[in-house]
Amino acid sequence: MVVRQYNQELEYLEKTSPYCWRIKKGFQPNMNVEGVFYVNQTLEKLMLEELRNACRPGMAGGFLPGVKQIANVAALPGIVGKSVGLPDVHSGYGFAIGNMAAFDVDNPESIVSPGGVGFDINCGVRLLRTNLFEKDVLPVKEQLAQSLFDHIPVGVGSKGIIPMNAKDLEEALEMGMDWSLREGYIWAEDKEHCEEYGRMLNADPSKVSMRAKKRGLPQLGTLGAGNHYAEIQVVDEIYDKWAACKMGIEEKGQVCVMIHSGSRGFGHQVATDALVQMEKAMKRDKIETNDRQLACARISSQEGQDYLKSMAAAANFAWVNRSSMTFLSRQAFAKQFNMAPDDLDMHVIYDVSHNIAKIEEHIVDGKQKTLLVHRKGSTRAFPPHHPLIPVDYQLTGQPVLIGGTMGTCSYVLTGTQQGMLETFGSTCHGAGRALSRAKSRRNLDYTDVLNKLEEMGISIRVASPKLVMEEAPESYKNVTDVVNTCHAAGISKKCIKLRPIAVIKG
Amino acid sequence: MVKRLLSALEYPQCDVNVNDEATFRKIVAWLELNKINKADSNVANGLKNVTSNDWPNHFQKYKEALGVPNLQSHQEQLQWLLGYAVQIETHNNREVYIKHAVENLKATNVPTVVTENPLDKLDFHSKEFAEGITKLAQLLNITPHPDPLVTLKAVAKLVTTRLSPQAQANPSEVIIKGTPFPFQEADLGFDLNDPVLNQAAKVLRILYIHDLRDLQTKANELIVAVQNITANPKTDTKLGKVGK
Repeated sequence: MVVRQYNQELEYLEKTSPYCWRIKKGFQPNMNVEGVFYVNQTLEKLMLEELRNACRPGMAGGFLPGVKQIANVAALPGIVGKSVGLPDVHSGYGFAIGNMAAFDVDNPESIVSPGGVGFDINCGVRLLRTNLFEKDVLPVKEQLAQSLFDHIPVGVGSKGIIPMNAKDLEEALEMGMDWSLREGYIWAEDKEHCEEYGRMLNADPSKVSMRAKKRGLPQLGTLGAGNHYAEIQVVDEIYDKWAACKMGIEEKGQVCVMIHSGSRGFGHQVATDALVQMEKAMKRDKIETNDRQLACARISSQEGQDYLKSMAAAANFAWVNRSSMTFLSRQAFAKQFNMAPDDLDMHVIYDVSHNIAKIEEHIVDGKQKTLLVHRKGSTRAFPPHHPLIPVDYQLTGQPVLIGGTMGTCSYVLTGTQQGMLETFGSTCHGAGRALSRAKSRRNLDYTDVLNKLEEMGISIRVASPKLVMEEAPESYKNVTDVVNTCHAAGISKKCIKLRPIAVIKG
Repeated sequence: MVKRLLSALEYPQCDVNVNDEATFRKIVAWLELNKINKADSNVANGLKNVTSNDWPNHFQKYKEALGVPNLQSHQEQLQWLLGYAVQIETHNNREVYIKHAVENLKATNVPTVVTENPLDKLDFHSKEFAEGITKLAQLLNITPHPDPLVTLKAVAKLVTTRLSPQAQANPSEVIIKGTPFPFQEADLGFDLNDPVLNQAAKVLRILYIHDLRDLQTKANELIVAVQNITANPKTDTKLGKVGK
């Protein structure tokens, strides 16, 4: 690897607009395409600071800064367009979190990489609306938070309350949300308002190891730990009245429920198993990458196909998981307000995936191409009239759900045509980490974090309070900066801002 | 059951006691002679002689020849033989039964009528027709199209969806509810460099979305219909465990 001074590195970076930077070829070896990242002034400082730290003597071999990781991805075989860094980008395993990259399926050299999807396969956000208002919920806020906490098991090692046996799991892996529908846990409209209609059709449970299945079975219907949460939120601001109206959001103060969760230990095991297989495939097919963590296999190879099939099964697991929690949230609200979930109008507004690889059609250099799009910490954001988005959002563009961190705001954006052209219809996914978990634990005190939430009037139920500082807002980039950058750059459009009043987490 | 099968096979006397040895023998002999016809002449003659002491031996041979499973009671043995006979009978009369199958009955019973549409006799190009249609359209508040046939289509559509007896009885079912959307300001996704064409494209988009919504609603209804049969959501709070 080339060692250069910070100002030498800067020569490879060029600011092309107030919100967009270009990474020129040569920044990392063997780049097939250029890189690009979207930041505003504040995020720009964080990004360059990270690069400057990595350039200091003696820092080589440590964490690769996000911007270097974006460039390494640009060096992968078969990549088309650009390697894109979204405003919430931060370093991750192989690919940066907040990185999207598309590979030409028709190019035999093209690869698929588990690092480009992440360990929490199909981690995503789901938003439910209600017809309740803040004034209806405030008096019973504590009870409601407790009720949600009682219904949805949280934390490391938690177990779900929906009885499942091995056969149910096999079916759920193959059918995704169709399984939840068949068993009656969710409504037909939920499927309509979910990316991929809640089911990856290429899922093949036989490609998934027994170990993954064993880990996954008791965890269905549980929230998990880390940055996952379920929140009761209220509409704080409406930026796009008509788009909000299509989502059933009419006024400020309306109450929503946001669920942020993924495929739990199941997805983690699928990714781990695949990495082992891919290392072998790389040796056999002589695939070279800049970073060992970028383990990958050709899309057409046995290993590549097996990974795509098992990843799809893990994606289905995550959708069933979020669907089970939808069912449990509806139950919790129904009990609290003594009304049926239908009468509370608890419809799913949308469900997005932000750790996934999917085959999509895009226009590259004026030609329609079939691409394998990796989105890691990046949300699909398709524009109005795209055939893959629900009919209700044909005029507004796909809703993009951006979960904030504990205690901060969340946003709903919509997809734009410009995003379709510039970023293969992708945008940010959340706040993005600024401090590492270890650093947060050292710098913050958990009682301060909890007190601060209380001052803000947010009820909190948490399984392991001593770890909350890892997820404190101070550990993250400011989600508002991230969202504003996406809006200003035109890759998605602000629609609704939500503010939490109760949080449950692991 | 035995009685019904006997009557189906047109046995002369259906009200029988099969536990009576003599009756049983008689029925078996009758079945072989009239329906089954599978025994060799020696066994057949043995079976016909219903009073002989040798009968059970002949019957045993007969059962072996037909492949009757090892059944205990007369009742069961008879049931098997009757079933076998019915099978042979049905097979022999296949043509007759097929003629009476439900699908075929439907097809043959309905007289084929060449429908005559009174509208076919109209002269669509006559002035009277055009005037009549224009008046009808005005009455229904429909903007007339230069081609009266197109106007007629619009009239027909309105009459069938909004003025049908069902719709009149329950108007809230057909009147579309919802909040209006300023689709004129919505992004079309492309530009045809002609405001009139863009406008037309927008209208086409809206019509397409309308059809798509209709299709999705039907898909949802189908899912709900299936759910009514399959759904059985369960929870068991005893399984729950909060982590650390």
